[in-house]
Order: sequence, then structure tokens, then C-alpha cells
Amino acid sequence: MGRVKKMERGDKIVLPGDFLGTSEEFIPGTGVYDQGGNLYASYIGEVSIGNNRVINVIPRVETPPTIEEGDVVIGQVMDIKDNVAIVSIGCVKGKESREVAAPSQGIIHISNVRNGYVTELQQEFGYLDVVKAKVIDAKTLRLSTKAKDLGVIKAICMKCKHDLKRKGNVLTCERCKRVETRKLSEDYGKGLI
Amino acid sequence: MKEEGIELIKDGKRLDGRGFDELRPIKIEVGVLKRADGSCYFEMGDNKVIAAVYGPREMHPRHAQDAKMAVLKYRYNMAPFSVEDRKRPGPDRRSVEISKISREALEPVILKEYYPKTEIDVYVEILQSDAGTRTAGINAASVALADAGIPMRDLVSSVAVGKIDGEVVLDLNAVEDNNGEADMPIAMIVRRNVITSLQMDGRMTKDEFKKGLKLAMNACRQIYELQRTALIERYSEM
Repeated sequence: MGRVKKMERGDKIVLPGDFLGTSEEFIPGTGVYDQGGNLYASYIGEVSIGNNRVINVIPRVETPPTIEEGDVVIGQVMDIKDNVAIVSIGCVKGKESREVAAPSQGIIHISNVRNGYVTELQQEFGYLDVVKAKVIDAKTLRLSTKAKDLGVIKAICMKCKHDLKRKGNVLTCERCKRVETRKLSEDYGKGLI
Repeated sequence: MKEEGIELIKDGKRLDGRGFDELRPIKIEVGVLKRADGSCYFEMGDNKVIAAVYGPREMHPRHAQDAKMAVLKYRYNMAPFSVEDRKRPGPDRRSVEISKISREALEPVILKEYYPKTEIDVYVEILQSDAGTRTAGINAASVALADAGIPMRDLVSSVAVGKIDGEVVLDLNAVEDNNGEADMPIAMIVRRNVITSLQMDGRMTKDEFKKGLKLAMNACRQIYELQRTALIERYSEM
């Protein structure tokens, strides 16, 4: 009851630095920072207090997108080693409007490519393939393509760089008739994210 | 400098009719650039400044990344047409210094540790200059950063004080700046009463300095309120 400082302003929205309460009253959630036991807003938004005393600022501004566990990302294969494929992440599904505020180099380990045994990673990915993958560890940016909708969504012929067309479970080059294998997404060639 | 014979104060008023503790009229517009993550157009008298914020985004080159926090980059740039004589385009000694000082004025409020290995780019373009552009730039950049949704501890407000004809006055314009005795731009976090940047060019006595600082701190409070209203106006309509 005896709050020393009143919650700042009667306005509906708070700005960075607006006093929200003390750390004895609330648990700081998103958009809130603690300085010396006082809680302040860190971006523009509305205050919401959950039933478990968690105080959040629901942003009115577009906040920088980050990569979370479970996010689906689109990237390009930049390198293929014996056990891992290195993917340069271009965007996160659902957060396409803004650049991701994180390093963009993700890794797909051979054990996370598909359900089942993978003898050779070269059989699953090719250089410059566009892949759709799920984040399984946001901190180290480890990705997985273990699902029907995940995997390669666009690939080019290793020999002549022509676009590859899907024919059943393999890809064929219309120009040089080369046949290649990939861990294909069910969305291959549809242009869908 | 008085021998030039320009009388800067007449009947207790300044050349543009302002009192000693009066700011120039300020206009703030938030979110003026479509492609930037955050932006702000700021007018302070005849100063016209636009600030754009991009990021946080992955930092290149990678060896310049900070593994623990984001890196703030700030570019203060004057348009060639911003001053009476054409300004030679490109960075020079003056704008490099102002970029550094402005970056250091804003750095303490940004919660950089939320976005390791990234960079936050702030571009400040001076479209028209009438003394005190670095303070206008900091004000604009602070609003643009808030508009970009970058987590911040607070907003930063900035203003200059100076000495003309032996009097301490607020927010010098170009004539006063060129013919005055001293100029002192400051930037501060108003609600914390923390000064993040202070420079002084010219000479002031200890008492004049104290008087000027008080004047500037009060003016920062006024500017802070304007920044606040501009942001609230922009975001309450949604």
C-alpha cells in the first residue's frame, strides 16, 4: 500500500525509463529492467501485470527480432563439412520485416538432418541450397531439418548451376539431365516459406 | 571579438528576440523514414536534422564484434548545402569528433548487452545548420532509437549554452556562436540527472559555468518533455 513512488504518469503507454514499480512488488518480464531495485520500462508499450506478479511491457513499437528455440528459419548452405552443414540464416519465419538481431551462422549436424541414418551429408545438401530449418538451440544456433516441411526448398545443379526440378524423391537438372538427392522439404520449388 | 562591433544583446533581448533562457522553437516528427527501423526528424530553430536507426543487426567485419554486447555506431554528417558556404562532403576532423562524442552521449542509455555480436547503426544527417547541430542530432537520435524499439534505460536530451556579450545565454544560434565568447553543449539523462556529454569551447568563469549548466539542465527538461510528447503522440493513435 505504501508505495513510495507512484507508477509514473497516468498515460496508457510508457516510454523507456518510466518507473513501473519495485522488485519487491513485481517480477521483471519483457521490456522491463531492474536498476537498484526499481523497475523501469525499456521500450515504448503498454504495461501488463500477470497474475503471478510478472510485469511486462507489451511493445507498441516493433522490437528487434531475435532467434528463439522452435523458430523456423530460412537460410542458404554456405559450406558442407563431413558432419555439419553451415547455413547462413537470411530470415526467421514470422519476423521477416526486420533484420535479425543475432549472428546469422547456423549449423545442421548430420544427426539432425532427417529421421534415420545419414551416410553422407553430401547426399542431403548441396552448396547454395536454400533450406528451411527449425532452431533446436538458439544460443549456439543449431538447426534441424527433421520434419516433412523442413529441408531444401530450392537447389541448383552441382555441374551446370541450373535450377533443379523435383521428380519424386530426387531432383533432376533439365539442362544436363543430372540427378541429385537432397533432404527435401515438402515445399520444394513452391516458393513458400 | 567585440571589436567587430556586433551587438548581440539589445534591451535585454537577443538578436532574434529571445530572452537569455529561451530555447528556439522545436519540432519533432517520429518515424519519418519508411525503410529505417527507427527515425526522427528534428527541428530546432533553423537547424534541421534527420536521424535514422538500423539494427541491431549482425556486425561486419566479424573481428569487430563484441561477444558480450552490441556495438553502437554513430555517423554525424553535414549535407553540403547545410551551411552558407558549401561544405565539402565527407567526413572531416570536426564530424569525426562529433560522431564520437554523440555516440558516447547515447551509449549509457542503450541496453547493449541484450544483443551480443550485433551493431546498431545511427545515421544523423544535418540538412540545415544554425549552430548546435550536435545537440539537435543527439535529440533526434535518442527519439529515433526509441522509435526503433531498441531497449533503452531512458531518453537523452541535449542543448547548448554559451556566453555572448558577457551574458550566459541558452541555445546559441549561428550569429551568436560565431561572435560569442563561449559555447558549451551538454547532453543528459534528464530523469537520472546524469550528464553524458559536456564540451566547452571558449572561456567562462566558474560562476558562469555553474549558471550555464543550470540553464542547460532546465532546458534539457523542456526538450525531454517535447521528445516524450512526440513519441506518445506517435504511438497512442495505434
